[in-house]
Amino acid sequence: MSKLGQVVESVEKYNQFVLDEVKRARTDQKFGRDLLGRWNDIKAKIPTTRAPTGLPLPRLALPEIDEPGEIARFLFGEGLPGEFPFLNGAYREMYLEPIREVESFEKNGESKASKSDKKIPQAEEPTRLFSGLMLAEDTNERFHYLTRHQRTHRLSTAFDGPTLYGIDSDADGVFGKIGEGGVAIDTVEDMVRLYDGFDLGSANFSASMTISGPAPIIMAMYIAAAKRRFGASVVPKLRGTIQADIFKEVQAQNETIFPIEPSLRFLTDMVEFTTLEMPRWYPISISGYHIGEAGSTPVQQAAYTLSNGFAYAEMFSARGIPVDQFGPRLSFFLDCGLDIEYIALARVSRRIWAIGMREVFGAGAKAQLYKLHTQTSGRSLIAAEFKNNLTRTAAELMLAYMNATNSCHSNSADEPFTTPSEEWIRLAAHGQAILLEESGIFKHTMNVLSGSPGMKAVERAVEAAILDEFREIERLGGVLAAVEDRYQRSQIQNASHRYEQQINDGVRPIIGLNRYRDGSDEIPEVKLARTPRKKQQLQVGRLAKFKKKNAEKAKRALDKLAAVVESGENCFPELLEAVEVCSLGQITGRLQEVVGRFRPMV
Amino acid sequence: MAAPIRILTAVPICDGHDSAINTINLEFIRHGIEVVYLGYHRSVGDIVRAAIQEDVRAIGISSYNGGHVEFFAEVVDLLRKKGAADIRVFGGGGGTITREDAAAMRRKGVDEIFFAGTSLEEMVKFAHQRYGKPRGKRSRAKTSDIELARKLTEIEDGFSKSKHRSPKLQNAISKSATRVIGFTGPGGAGKTTLIDELVLRFLNKDRQLRVAILSHDPSVIGEGALLGDRATMINSQNDRVFMRSMATRGQAGGLSPATHDCLALLARSGFDYVIIETVGTGQEAMPFQKSGIVDQTILVMNPDYGSRLQLQKIVMLDLADIVVVNKSDLQRARTAHTEIEQRLDQNRRAQRLIDTVAKRHRDSGVDKLFGLILTSDKSKRGKERKKS
Repeated sequence: MSKLGQVVESVEKYNQFVLDEVKRARTDQKFGRDLLGRWNDIKAKIPTTRAPTGLPLPRLALPEIDEPGEIARFLFGEGLPGEFPFLNGAYREMYLEPIREVESFEKNGESKASKSDKKIPQAEEPTRLFSGLMLAEDTNERFHYLTRHQRTHRLSTAFDGPTLYGIDSDADGVFGKIGEGGVAIDTVEDMVRLYDGFDLGSANFSASMTISGPAPIIMAMYIAAAKRRFGASVVPKLRGTIQADIFKEVQAQNETIFPIEPSLRFLTDMVEFTTLEMPRWYPISISGYHIGEAGSTPVQQAAYTLSNGFAYAEMFSARGIPVDQFGPRLSFFLDCGLDIEYIALARVSRRIWAIGMREVFGAGAKAQLYKLHTQTSGRSLIAAEFKNNLTRTAAELMLAYMNATNSCHSNSADEPFTTPSEEWIRLAAHGQAILLEESGIFKHTMNVLSGSPGMKAVERAVEAAILDEFREIERLGGVLAAVEDRYQRSQIQNASHRYEQQINDGVRPIIGLNRYRDGSDEIPEVKLARTPRKKQQLQVGRLAKFKKKNAEKAKRALDKLAAVVESGENCFPELLEAVEVCSLGQITGRLQEVVGRFRPMV
Repeated sequence: MAAPIRILTAVPICDGHDSAINTINLEFIRHGIEVVYLGYHRSVGDIVRAAIQEDVRAIGISSYNGGHVEFFAEVVDLLRKKGAADIRVFGGGGGTITREDAAAMRRKGVDEIFFAGTSLEEMVKFAHQRYGKPRGKRSRAKTSDIELARKLTEIEDGFSKSKHRSPKLQNAISKSATRVIGFTGPGGAGKTTLIDELVLRFLNKDRQLRVAILSHDPSVIGEGALLGDRATMINSQNDRVFMRSMATRGQAGGLSPATHDCLALLARSGFDYVIIETVGTGQEAMPFQKSGIVDQTILVMNPDYGSRLQLQKIVMLDLADIVVVNKSDLQRARTAHTEIEQRLDQNRRAQRLIDTVAKRHRDSGVDKLFGLILTSDKSKRGKERKKS
């Protein structure tokens, strides 16, 4: 049995354990009394807060139960926020604003209270903005613009097509794609320019890089660039995330450059290095987003993301990296659409992950957390009457926060027909602020929307469906075997086809498209910010200069790299050397000579 | 009956968005078009080379990742440069293609750009109207690839009208030094991947060496076909490889009515090796028996063939020179090897049995097969020809 099979068993066993504890609480009087005592303690310790209107509220809402069996069901089956099995949240307080002093209302009335409001320190914004355009210096300028009012600098970086496929800006036929849809990175010098002016070692800075196929090479460039600017001592202080999710590339996104096995080996090499040398770095973002966007059902998305995660955990363990070291450095990324499953998809995922990691991998508390970034669904947005997309995204944001996501990105309403423009990006970001900061829904009380009968019903149905998917993957020989067998890929394509069919047949109402359509499909004609030819030429010129300058050294570095790859040793330290003198394309090309190229699954 | 329209489809380099093109491919096929699908992340050079070799009427490009104005223009320009401007270009993509872009692309010689929201019916109608009429008189072929590709089209389309072979071609075969290798076997055994791995070895062995590939996919008379082998054959997209994809157009047995004549033409066109791949075949198939052109036959098997008794029924096990058990990393492979070995022993011929894992880079089994192909006795070829 692979670890995934064991995960299924561990969740079943845990569910049985919860039922047993419920029964015990009802039959074993001492146990029942203890639970009741604990429950009363918990309730007594919940602080009270005030809404701006003065209404007093508990910081944490609990179900109104006083029967030991039900208390057991809640505490063991769901857990308090921040407690195993983390159904209600990875952390205790999530988006709550700091407490408002109750006394200030009671003793001094409202005027004093409003004064103390001003002092409320603000927590870090969970909002993330994604950017990448033209050349490194252009994206850098944009980063400075986007973060000008932000307390913390969390930069999310998009790369252009050539970079995502590990090829250079001077490769055959890519000229027009330089700097399109993301930033062009060919060399460590570009990487230096990309984050210029930001303090990479600061606790208030983190860089997120959305790239998977060539992730280890790009990671090496980032480290090398940081070293160039701040010296070697900055390396353990680096914070950020690199996507590096190979499985989802093969299952859904098609940005794979090496065959699956060597891709996974390069990934593990990188994870081994960052886990030991860069304790604050997240070396993989296990992503369901692209699976969802490729058309999967929500259950497929959650199931493949989780099972991919467990497969990575199995690989990293097999390499000998301790689970309590790599576990806390794993993070997840989910899509949030409008289907009913999304009311609990991340909640259920968090619970399955915690149980599996604890029971099957022996993970400690920090390595049990399913730390989640959510993005609203791009696929759910349409061009027809595109302003409706604001409502769609708002509803999705609501669902995402009901799932207690750790961070979130909201899409721009104009996304279906253009690269998001400033106006609509602003509205998207404000949507989050309105929900979290302006509205009282999420800032006063934890669990304010959890535990409804409907939510619980969805949780049960979704969990059962996810476990069924796990069983099927296990039957096929585990995640890697199923991937090579195109199992997930075919399932996703099938679901996507069904979704389109449903829209065509009108079974799936899309407002403004197949329902309440008024025929005015006017899409505003927008001018797109294209990378000017001159910039593209500049990038090619820079690359030529870099290659010429390092020609001799590059050859030696590539030979050395190839030898280490052949030897089977961890090649990441060698990549760190190679990026000093070699371009992304040179390294990719040489690695492909050794391990081969990815053969598309058609 | 008129020959089906042939169209090549692809997604540009650095672009992995293949969802739309997959849907469009299927719709084209349903409406009688033969689609040669090249796959995603494909360079201008790969697309133009494939279009010329396949002698398609048009190239359909689906672009989502930007850079389309340049990319489409480069395809049109390279076609012109190669003397293949009669192969037209159309396409479409996501929201990144603006109306202004589309106008610029049309000015540069692109026939049509479809925007998001265009119905599939519209695209099919366009393809039939624009590319369905018989070709007019074509100008003189500028390169040998174009000349060869056009002759193959003539042969293939000739069979759509009448079923007679041209006797002139048949006689001209024997003089060539080209070796012809036939690959057959059940669908899903990994023939295409195996051939592509062998091609990589051919190309690396000798910088002058040239290979032709004739690959087949099934189709019913008058209907479309998905000719998708190129998408898998990443190493075979090379200037020293001439590849042609053919639909069987209603003929059973793994090959097309035009195969024999096309193969004969390729065999005397100066290639060092000509590789022919059948469609996935059944137990009764003996696709190379009648042609008399194939020097060496290779049966590629999947370890999962069912009961041992099934082996007795596979005719090609009697006829093949080499039997390959591919996917030999599967659990069942050892049993398969033993059972097939015994089955071959009954024949008392010098048949060879090799285990491969074609999907693996630098697989030692594929190396062994490659060595065997290189060292195979060329004189054997003459004898076999007389027998058949």
